[in-house]
Amino acid sequence: MPMPPLLARAVVAAMLSDEDQEMLQRIRMKDAGHGYDAFGLHKDFVGMGMSIAKPLYDRYFRVASYGADKVPYSGPAVLASNHSGTVPVDGMMLWVDVIKQTGRIPRAIADHFVPTLPVIGTFFSRGGMVGGSRGNARALLEAGEILMIFPEGTAGVGKMFKDRYQLQTWRVGHAELAIRHRAPVIPVAFIGPEEQMPQVAAIKSLGKLVGLPYLPIPAAPFPLPVKYHIHYGDPVDLPALYGPEDADDPEAVSEAAGRVEVRVKELIEKGLKMRKGRLFT
Amino acid sequence: MPPVPSVPIRGVMVTGATTPIGERLIRSLLADARIERILAVGVEPEDRALPFAHGDRLVYKSVDLGRSRRVRNLLFGPAREMGIEVVIHTAMHRDANAKGGRVRSLNVEALRSLLDLSERHPTIKRFVFKSYGEVYQVQHDLPILVIEDHPLNMSGGAPQWVRNRVEADLTACARMGLSRLEIAVLRCGEVLAPGTGSQLFDYLDSPVCLRPIGFDPMMNMLSISDCVRAMELAARAFGVQGVFNVPGLDTLPLSAAIRRWGRVGIPLPGPVITPWYRIRRRLRGHDFSYGMNRKRFHYCSVLDGTRARDTLGYTPENAIDWPAPRDPAG
Repeated sequence: MPMPPLLARAVVAAMLSDEDQEMLQRIRMKDAGHGYDAFGLHKDFVGMGMSIAKPLYDRYFRVASYGADKVPYSGPAVLASNHSGTVPVDGMMLWVDVIKQTGRIPRAIADHFVPTLPVIGTFFSRGGMVGGSRGNARALLEAGEILMIFPEGTAGVGKMFKDRYQLQTWRVGHAELAIRHRAPVIPVAFIGPEEQMPQVAAIKSLGKLVGLPYLPIPAAPFPLPVKYHIHYGDPVDLPALYGPEDADDPEAVSEAAGRVEVRVKELIEKGLKMRKGRLFT
Repeated sequence: MPPVPSVPIRGVMVTGATTPIGERLIRSLLADARIERILAVGVEPEDRALPFAHGDRLVYKSVDLGRSRRVRNLLFGPAREMGIEVVIHTAMHRDANAKGGRVRSLNVEALRSLLDLSERHPTIKRFVFKSYGEVYQVQHDLPILVIEDHPLNMSGGAPQWVRNRVEADLTACARMGLSRLEIAVLRCGEVLAPGTGSQLFDYLDSPVCLRPIGFDPMMNMLSISDCVRAMELAARAFGVQGVFNVPGLDTLPLSAAIRRWGRVGIPLPGPVITPWYRIRRRLRGHDFSYGMNRKRFHYCSVLDGTRARDTLGYTPENAIDWPAPRDPAG
C-alpha cells in the first residue's frame, strides 16, 4: 500500500470500535521483521481493511453468519465457497467474518491478474491476499494459515443472473492442496451476493482492453443492499479420506473436489430455504 | 551469531577477494585457526590489495580470471602447492551496464574454466559458487516465496548482467554430480552494501527515490555478514551438493526500505521513471537501471531459505544496518 503503516493505524483509531481494535491486537501473524509477513500482510492494514469493510458488513449487507465455530482456530484449513456478485464483495465479507468470528486472518487466493492491479493489488496483499499460484498456497498451508478459495473463480463472479446459485465449473485445486498439505476443507455458502448486481452480459474483448477477464454489463450500477447470509458447513476431512499420495491422482482429486462441491450445494439449498425468498431482510 | 562449525581445511581459495564481500570472507577465514592456508585472488595489483595485516597464512595473487591460461596457471601453480581443498568463487563483474565479451569471460567463462580444472585437480574437493537471487524470474503469476526450482529469468530481453548470471549458475548446476568435485551454488539475496554491485544500494543512494505508483512489492535483503557466513557454511559442508537460496533477515516492502534508508519515495507512473533513471545514469554515472528492476519493483519476490537452513544450517542472523529507525507503527 503506498502509505506508511502510521496512516493505516490512524484510520483504524478513527473508524474501528475499541472492541475491534483489541481483537486486532490479539491476532497473531508471522512478522518477517518489519511488521510485514513475507507475503506483504500487515496488521495495521488489516485493521484499515476492516475499517473500510465493516460498515458494509454491519450496515449495508447486514451479514448474518451461521456455523462459524466450524472454522478451526489454529492449523491449516481451506475455506471453499461459491462466488458471485459481478463485483466480488463476497470475498471481502467472508474475510471480515472469519476475522470477527475466529480472530484469524484468512488468506484469500486471488486470480493471477489481481496482483497486477495498481493500488488494489497492493492493498489486498496487505490484508492477506496472495496471487493464485501453487507455490503461494503451499507456503501458506505449510505455515498453518487458513486459505479462502473460490473454486468457481472469475466464472462465478461473472455468472449471469439466470444462473444464480448454480455452481460454475468447480475447479479442483483446493482439494489437491487440502490432500497434499493435510488440511480440512470447510464448505461455505453465500446467500445474497448472487442477486446483488444482476448481470445480463459480459464482454470479453472490452475487458481485455482494461486488463480484466471480461467487462460485465449489470442491470444495477452498483451492488444492491441485499442481506448476506454466510453458512459454514462441517469440515470435509479430506486428509482422513485420502493419503498424501492421492494428491497426484487426478481421479482422487476430482472425487475429493466433488465431495466439497456437493456440500456447498447442500449448504446453498439449506440457506435458500432459510431465507424464504426475502432478499433485503 | 552462532559459530560456524570449525572443520579443518588445509587450504581455501577465494576469488573476488578485493570486493567488500571477498574481503570480509577472507577476514573471517583468517580468524579460523583451523584453516591452514588461504589463497586470495583478485584483479587489483598485489601492493594495493587486502589492506589489512595478515600473516603468512594468506597469499594474494592478482589474476585476470577471464583468461583461461592464467586460471590454469593459478590452479596448477599456487593452488596445488598450497594444497587448496575448497574454492569459493565470488568474482563477477559488478557494473550492471557493462557489456561485451570481456565481461562475459569473467562472469561465465572463468567459472567454466575453474570448474573444469577443479574436477581434475589433485587437491580441490569442493567448489562453492556465490550466485545471485536475481537469476530468478519475477512475475505476477509466480510464487512470492521463491524456492530453488523457481523459474529462472531466461528472457532474451534481459540485460547481460542477468543473462551472464543465469548462464553461470546453470553452468555450475550442470556439472553437479558428474565428477568427484562437490559443488554448492548459493543464490544469495541482494547484499545492500557499497561496492557489491547492488542495484538497490545504488537506487537508494539518491535523496529521492522514484517508484511505480500503486505497487509496493516485498523484497528481501542480505547483510554482508550473513552472506559471508553462508559461504563459510557451504565451504565446510563436505559431502553436500546442491543449490541453496540464501535470504537475509530483512523482508520488507520497497516503500519501507526507502523510508528506513532515510530517503523520500515518490510514486510515479513507470513511463516517467524509466527516462529519469536513464538520465541519472548518463549524467551522474550511477549504476541503477529501472528497466532491469522493473518487474521486481512491481511484484513480490522473497527467497525461501528452508533448504539452506535444513542442509547447511544457515539462518539469517544479522539485519541490514538501516540508517533510519523502524517505523513506530510497523
